[in-house]
Amino acid sequence: MFMDLIPVLIILIPVVTGVFIYITRHYKFNMLVFLAQSIVTGLALRYYFYLGRLKGEVFLNLGNWSEKISIVLKNDYLSMTFIFLTIIMWWMVIIYSWKERKKDSKFYFFLLFLEGVFFGLLQTNDLFNLFVFIEITTIISTILILYKMTGESVRAGLYYLLFNSAGIMFFLIGMAFIYYSEGTLSINELTGKINISQGLNLTNISYISIIAAIGVKSAFFPVYNWLPKAHSAAPSVISALLSGLLVKSGLYVFIRINSMYGLESFREFFIILGLITAISGGIFAISQKDIKQILAFSTVSQIGIIMIGLNQLDGNIIGGVFHIINHAFFKSMLFLSAGIIIKTYKERDTTVIRGVLYELPLVGIFILIGFFSISGMPFFNGFISKSIIKYGVYSEFIIYAIHFIDILTITYFMKILQVLNKPKGLNVRYKVKRCNNSKVPVVILGFLCIILGIFYQPIGRLLLRTEIKYIDLFDLKEWSIYSSKLITGYIIYKYVIKKDYSLIKKIRKTNISFSNTNYLFILFITIMLLWKL
Amino acid sequence: MSPILSFIIILIGLYGMVTSENIIKSIICFSIIETALILLFLNLGNVGLGDIPIIIEETPNMVDPLPQALMITTIVIGASTTALAFMISIKIFHYYGTLEWDELLEREG
Repeated sequence: MFMDLIPVLIILIPVVTGVFIYITRHYKFNMLVFLAQSIVTGLALRYYFYLGRLKGEVFLNLGNWSEKISIVLKNDYLSMTFIFLTIIMWWMVIIYSWKERKKDSKFYFFLLFLEGVFFGLLQTNDLFNLFVFIEITTIISTILILYKMTGESVRAGLYYLLFNSAGIMFFLIGMAFIYYSEGTLSINELTGKINISQGLNLTNISYISIIAAIGVKSAFFPVYNWLPKAHSAAPSVISALLSGLLVKSGLYVFIRINSMYGLESFREFFIILGLITAISGGIFAISQKDIKQILAFSTVSQIGIIMIGLNQLDGNIIGGVFHIINHAFFKSMLFLSAGIIIKTYKERDTTVIRGVLYELPLVGIFILIGFFSISGMPFFNGFISKSIIKYGVYSEFIIYAIHFIDILTITYFMKILQVLNKPKGLNVRYKVKRCNNSKVPVVILGFLCIILGIFYQPIGRLLLRTEIKYIDLFDLKEWSIYSSKLITGYIIYKYVIKKDYSLIKKIRKTNISFSNTNYLFILFITIMLLWKL
Repeated sequence: MSPILSFIIILIGLYGMVTSENIIKSIICFSIIETALILLFLNLGNVGLGDIPIIIEETPNMVDPLPQALMITTIVIGASTTALAFMISIKIFHYYGTLEWDELLEREG
């Protein structure tokens, strides 16, 4: 009986703890954050083993109404993987921010509330609860984005809130169509039963409007410009959380919705969309100077690769899911390191900061590890997921495109790597201030990147239930491809990007207004409708 | 009332979203879209002159209660989103002295 209720408990424990911390408003109660986190971790582990005994799919029907109308929580290996990812990310964020915000009850209230809601989003089995959880996530992450209450962060917060809420309205439209044609909103009931005939019927329109809403949430090609604004304005902890996990909530819903509809005619469309997303994100990242802007656009670019991995023609999504996990690890590590650098130097411009490797040696080394992971060096985790994605793609063209995206990645990362070394003739003295953020999460996440890169087989077996056999870490061909990519990226950086031509400046200054963003959103829906016709 | 009416209102709201230059107008247009959606959903459960969905004895011509239950939640969410958006726009006016989107983009934070 107790085992059955664990899904509810891991939603409620963080929420209740957060509310308690907020009501008492005494900073000593903030220690309860660690207690709640430990309890949730223990319960999730316990539930994982319980899941193993029950063939990997457990439904919890709250209230014992009929399946069609009741609130049901569903757990399988995919949701458990995401739950563990969430728990790890929240541990990192709490440890990182603890010294700085020890007495800030409000911050931990929002953080814990967000965790509980996020667990709900991962486990829910009906479309309406999904909508509710996505909306609450949007509202709380808005509050966390504008937490510093500076002019820039307030502007980014409003942009994020309005655009995401307007987008999610289309989720409701799609839901109305489904309810009209099928009479239920339970994902499990709907799976495989939806009528997917060709042409423009109710189901296809509902699919298109739901995907449009998710596309805003998870930053697909034309509608991602809320993301760099929000990521660069938020505190670094929240950027790490946003980029590592909250953007992925859209992709998680994408997986669920796709398996519910089982539509295959959109796969090629999403592969093309992913390519465009990845390349345009990379080009924007190359033009930026601000370290957090570069990382934010790099997130867009990686989301494009994840999209390719989630829509492979044989229906295998392992590469995409693996890349979601890997990206969560290295990108949040890079954001946390960037936070430490910004706090220490009081500066965000990559062309100004120098000598990180001497002032902050630990952070410098882990930025290098992040670079190797994101660019796909063997023995680091990015290589594994990118290889799985490449293995599942049958078209030669897309494999070359992924290599091209890797070169883009290396090029814009050269901009970040230039902060590491210290030129000899440098006379500028920095007012280096010791920052009180913990470096432990950076170290842990960095080691997780390496562990996933080497011991990918047991982890894939435990969490994703697949055998990953076809990767050879010592393959000479892979090493030579990687080193040639590295050299090409460096040459492009040195002879093209570093010169800062006027075209690059123009791309950097591109700023899309709110109404134009809405035009792009309508354009996105129109393109999907045309594809279906 | 047919669903066509709610689609027309949704389109009016979308038109407002893409054309309005002012933050307050954008928030109002968002509310218009949301209200139209609530109308659309309530239409789904409509069965003409139906009974209220309380089972006392046999009620063959009952209104579908599920959309109504869902829409109450949607109204609450919409209200909180709108309230938060208005709160943030007050803050924006404090920092920038304007509520126009294009002027906001030009000024540095």
